[in-house]
Amino acid sequence: MNAAPVTMTLLQTCVMAVLQAICVVLFVFIIVPLTIYAERKVLGFAQDRLGATRIAGHRVGLTGWLNRGMWRMGKVPFLSYWRGLPMLVGDIAKLFLKEDIVPTKADRAIFLVAPALSLIASVVVFAAVSFYPGALFTFPKIVPIIGGLPFNGCITDMNVGLLFILGIASVGVYGIVLGAWASNSKYPLLGGLRSGAQIVSYEVPLTLSLLAPVVLTGTLNFNKMTLALATEMPLYAVPILFVSFFVYFTCGFAETNRMPFDMPEAENELVAGFHTEYSGMRFGFFYLAEYINMVVVTAIASAFFLGGPYLAPFGLHRYIMHVPFLGAPNGLWFVAKMILLLFTFIWVRGTIPRYRYDQVMAVAWKYLIPFTLILVLLAAMVRYAAPALPVA
Amino acid sequence: MRSYVPVLLLILVAIALPVVIWGISRIVRPHIPSASKYSTYECGIKTTLEAREKFSVRYYLVAVMFLVFDVETVFLMPWAIQMKELAIFGLIEMGIFLFLLLFGYGYIWSKGALTWE
Repeated sequence: MNAAPVTMTLLQTCVMAVLQAICVVLFVFIIVPLTIYAERKVLGFAQDRLGATRIAGHRVGLTGWLNRGMWRMGKVPFLSYWRGLPMLVGDIAKLFLKEDIVPTKADRAIFLVAPALSLIASVVVFAAVSFYPGALFTFPKIVPIIGGLPFNGCITDMNVGLLFILGIASVGVYGIVLGAWASNSKYPLLGGLRSGAQIVSYEVPLTLSLLAPVVLTGTLNFNKMTLALATEMPLYAVPILFVSFFVYFTCGFAETNRMPFDMPEAENELVAGFHTEYSGMRFGFFYLAEYINMVVVTAIASAFFLGGPYLAPFGLHRYIMHVPFLGAPNGLWFVAKMILLLFTFIWVRGTIPRYRYDQVMAVAWKYLIPFTLILVLLAAMVRYAAPALPVA
Repeated sequence: MRSYVPVLLLILVAIALPVVIWGISRIVRPHIPSASKYSTYECGIKTTLEAREKFSVRYYLVAVMFLVFDVETVFLMPWAIQMKELAIFGLIEMGIFLFLLLFGYGYIWSKGALTWE
């Protein structure tokens, strides 16, 4: 599966890395608008209404053109389900066209940099996320610099992949807290403090719930962990993985400020939370960063707990390893599981009401932390008990 | 070291991303300044008092507790990887560390630092 290491010159490495980075950015910028659209539609159906079907505006110009397009789509059988999709164009155009307002009392430099910091942190995480172990395809010989070289499913296969992901992902909270502080306004400050305290609190159980797979596999390398978790787990490790998946996913909701834990954006109390003073594209950066963080959370959950590119979840893959097509790793399974989990994010938002702030903090500190410590202990016992497990 | 060159390039691409998007937005968006538009938002009424006043000490407590527990997770990581090699020595060492940590955890719980009012 893992091809022999190909020696590359520095130029080739750079060209390949830039291509991969562009692919990652494209992937993110395709899946994030689709998630935003799906969120409107799924929430609409959850609340027994149609969801997005038209946009406000005039009969002429962009809005009129989009509305006419959506009306025509509604007449066609299959397309009528995707009727609201052109609305995304209006959404993006709106973010671009709105005036960028910096309050006079704000700390200008920090105010300008903070949203970009959130966005950058959420994109850089993908450096260690592996979509497929090994090469996706090989470039033909006629391609100028990188001909004959494999295009890998991950940007870099580093030894400390998981640590890198956790480290970079937690930089995003700086963007939120700095943006809130720099706004120099009451609502953003309160929202930012709440948000910071919440993200920081849930980071501990999040890391601990990922520690259980690390203990079971004995490595931090993304590809090795995915492979070992999918194919080399004893049957009695499956309940531990199952439970730590749920703990991880719960913490993921809190880390991305999603619905049952979206304290920072409690509209009735705090206007819009930490981004009250932000407008236009700068608000768009925060918005994008939140959704990219969702994608990252689902990518990690899908890789470590649902098998990633291997089909069967929770370490059950070794039973179907030798089935012709289903047994082989496939990047599509990975993306399909991510989409399933993204749907779960929206589903939960449509189902579970918001918690109170003291409840949110109590869940993290009083229940999840001791619970995850016990999980790590159980995982350690499995590791000691099973001599067949890999020593990576 | 070579394997970290792609990470550096991804960081550069990620930095270019907001800069480019913001640059495009700068060309197309309007700029019509007015004094009230640039004032601090406060539900439409006149802004009173400063925003940066005293806030609850609990946020500070959370930060301190987070530091303790984050150091703990950082300490658990190498143990989790080298568990087989460290064998019984590592288990005892980690047991002592976790006992001390959980003792402190019980103490802050009993003091009510985990209860948000």
